[in-house]
Amino acid sequence: MVLTYRAALLAAAGVVFVALALPSWGGVGLVVAVVVVVCVVVCVVDLLLAGSPRRLQLSREGDTAVRLGEHAAVNLLVANPGRRVRGLLRDAWAPSAGVLDPPHKLNLPHGERRRLTTNLLPTRRGDRQADRVTIRSIGPLGFAGRQGSHRVPWTVRALPPFKSRKHLPSRLARLRELDGRTALLVRGQGTEFDSLRDYVPGDDVRSIDWRATARRGNVVLRTWRPERDRQVAIVIDSGRMSAGRVGDAPRLDHAMDAALLLAALATRAGDRVSLLACDSAVRADVRRPAPEDVLPSFVNALANVEAELVQTDFRVVVSQVLERLGQRSLVVLLTGLDPAVIEESLLPVIGPLLRRHVIVLASVADPRLTELESTRSDLLEVYGAASAARTRLDRERVTAVLTRAGVTVLDENPDTIAPALADTYLALKKAGRL
Amino acid sequence: MSTAVGRSAGESWRALRTPLLVTGVIVLAAIVVLIATTARTSGPFSPDSTEPEGARALATLLGNHGVKVTGTDVLDDAVQPGSGKTLLIGPEGQLDRDDWQRIADAGWSHVVLIRPGTRALEVLAPGVEDNGQILASDSRQPNCELPAAVKAGTVTVGGSTYSAPDGAQACYGDGINNTVIRVESAGRIVDVVGTTRSFTNEQLADDGNAALALNLIGTDRELTWYLPQWESSGFGDDDEDSPPLVPPDIRYIGWALAFAVLVVALWRGRRLGPVVAERLPVIVHAAETTEGRARLYRRSRARDRAAAALRESALGKLHKAHGIPRRADPSAVVATVAARTGRDPAMLYELLYGLPPLSDAALMSLSHELDVLTQEVRHP
Repeated sequence: MVLTYRAALLAAAGVVFVALALPSWGGVGLVVAVVVVVCVVVCVVDLLLAGSPRRLQLSREGDTAVRLGEHAAVNLLVANPGRRVRGLLRDAWAPSAGVLDPPHKLNLPHGERRRLTTNLLPTRRGDRQADRVTIRSIGPLGFAGRQGSHRVPWTVRALPPFKSRKHLPSRLARLRELDGRTALLVRGQGTEFDSLRDYVPGDDVRSIDWRATARRGNVVLRTWRPERDRQVAIVIDSGRMSAGRVGDAPRLDHAMDAALLLAALATRAGDRVSLLACDSAVRADVRRPAPEDVLPSFVNALANVEAELVQTDFRVVVSQVLERLGQRSLVVLLTGLDPAVIEESLLPVIGPLLRRHVIVLASVADPRLTELESTRSDLLEVYGAASAARTRLDRERVTAVLTRAGVTVLDENPDTIAPALADTYLALKKAGRL
Repeated sequence: MSTAVGRSAGESWRALRTPLLVTGVIVLAAIVVLIATTARTSGPFSPDSTEPEGARALATLLGNHGVKVTGTDVLDDAVQPGSGKTLLIGPEGQLDRDDWQRIADAGWSHVVLIRPGTRALEVLAPGVEDNGQILASDSRQPNCELPAAVKAGTVTVGGSTYSAPDGAQACYGDGINNTVIRVESAGRIVDVVGTTRSFTNEQLADDGNAALALNLIGTDRELTWYLPQWESSGFGDDDEDSPPLVPPDIRYIGWALAFAVLVVALWRGRRLGPVVAERLPVIVHAAETTEGRARLYRRSRARDRAAAALRESALGKLHKAHGIPRRADPSAVVATVAARTGRDPAMLYELLYGLPPLSDAALMSLSHELDVLTQEVRHP
């Protein structure tokens, strides 16, 4: 049962009535009793005449996935087989689903159907579930009504935003340069022999194949292209190192962004990309999807990965990567550069990986540390600067250790990590180290 | 497709009726038990009280000897016709002179006053006066001719004392200060008892207390045990002419207002569906540990560690800026930097490789100088 403002007004009018009626009627409790009875009768009549919210039939249709930061619309179909239902309908979702609309107004005669649209703007990545739909049906007099809820399950998956896709066109252009599809032909290490063709004025004379020229009688040129069909394994650390917030998002989200850019680029370059998100257990695992399926499958797999507050077990990471990679491949490890963790957990177990594969370790640096180190106006800030300097020196030390071991280390700010990783990939490809 | 959540009206009623029934029965039983067992009176010298200061023992004793005891704290019970009956008036409370006069006019044949005040004595026992002395509690002889006291013998008495007029029987005192006095006037026997503790549950069993109480109080078949209250009955105090400050009918408006408030509460109190809860991720700032370490440095005044970190950081920048090899000798570093910046080599050595600063101010100036040096190198 629910009451409306009209019932409250009626009761308030009753107070005025009692105050005015008393002097003439001489103080009888009867007046109060009359007021109470009138209110109760009106409300009970309304209650009995209101249409039943429980008998409504509800179903949903609409978006099931949306990129974080974009709008999704989910429709609710309401059919009424019973008496007219008039009142409010609230389509409740978890707060992070970001429902934009206030409760819907509903006026549904017998036998009709309505489509109500709920607009969502999710504020967090992952599966956002619909809670219950609550309908408040007010009686014809507008004083009281009935209220009931339905469960109409629906899930909208908020996918990683992939903000770094703006960097993709420029990196693809550079890839095409490497690939020989642009006019500029580059000869260098790390490319493999493609074919022979006739010399055209303007070509690099160093690329002329003299032996073939001698055989053919006209000048013949060798063309080169970068290696293709290499394997790239992207490993995202979803442990506690990725939980720390840098800027307005956890390290994990920045890492995902970088991973998606790299995946898109590597797929265009003809390489096979696989994905692993791992802490003490495997959280997401995509093995060699078809090229056109890489981004959708990655985004879907990563949507529900959250940073766990546990220490990542790098033995699991290493064994998983070794298991899925046959030939010499590129392993990109997106994790933090915590000296203790790197020295005690990663370095002892990374040997087998290093012997067989090329490893890039990318870590999101915190601009806050630079800021801490450069402000030194009072004593506390000097201690802060000293502490930040110590953190930076530790990171540099562990970076040096990793570099000596043969790992390529990237330590970049959140807004540059994705393009930097893409550039590293292109550089490795150009150098033929894949 | 949807599924309705919650129970329908019929289901709610079926689920609720048993608990409602049980609650109703319990409330009803509690009310019945409460009404049945409520003592009519309470407090010191109450015939229903079992506390040490109560007088339940005496009331029971009187009842066993065939006296019908009626405890009350209502004045009306004490002013009804009392011929052939005994009225006992307790020690607490206060009555107006008019109320005492009404009691006197009611025609009780025997009145027992336990530690009465001046007004009561003036009306009911003229001539008896409270002389303000307090007698210590002790076993005493009757020292009088009163049959009840003679039969009881030694009694533990103590408390207020009264002086008796001529012709009255004064007991348990020295003749001037007495604790039990019997006055007979106008066919009415009035006993003034100054000792309140003697007849309580605590002391009734001592000496001849019980015998004195029975013989003194239990003379008639019916005893009205009246405990005056503090509030006045207001009888005779009414000023009929002055209008009341608050209209008496205002309470009806109050009730209507209360009902309106209830309706408003019901209107505002019902939410449109429950609050939706969700698990939130933990938010840890990545720089938290570094900031925590800075506070630890400060709390433990770790100037040496802070200075070492700052120097190492500055050295790193100098190495980079001047292309000095990483493992270069301190003197070589100082010489190179001095040559580039034109600074005094000894002071540079002190700045880059000196002892840890001894005060916070020294740390501040060290930090500042290192900062200036690295800036200089960057913009020579």
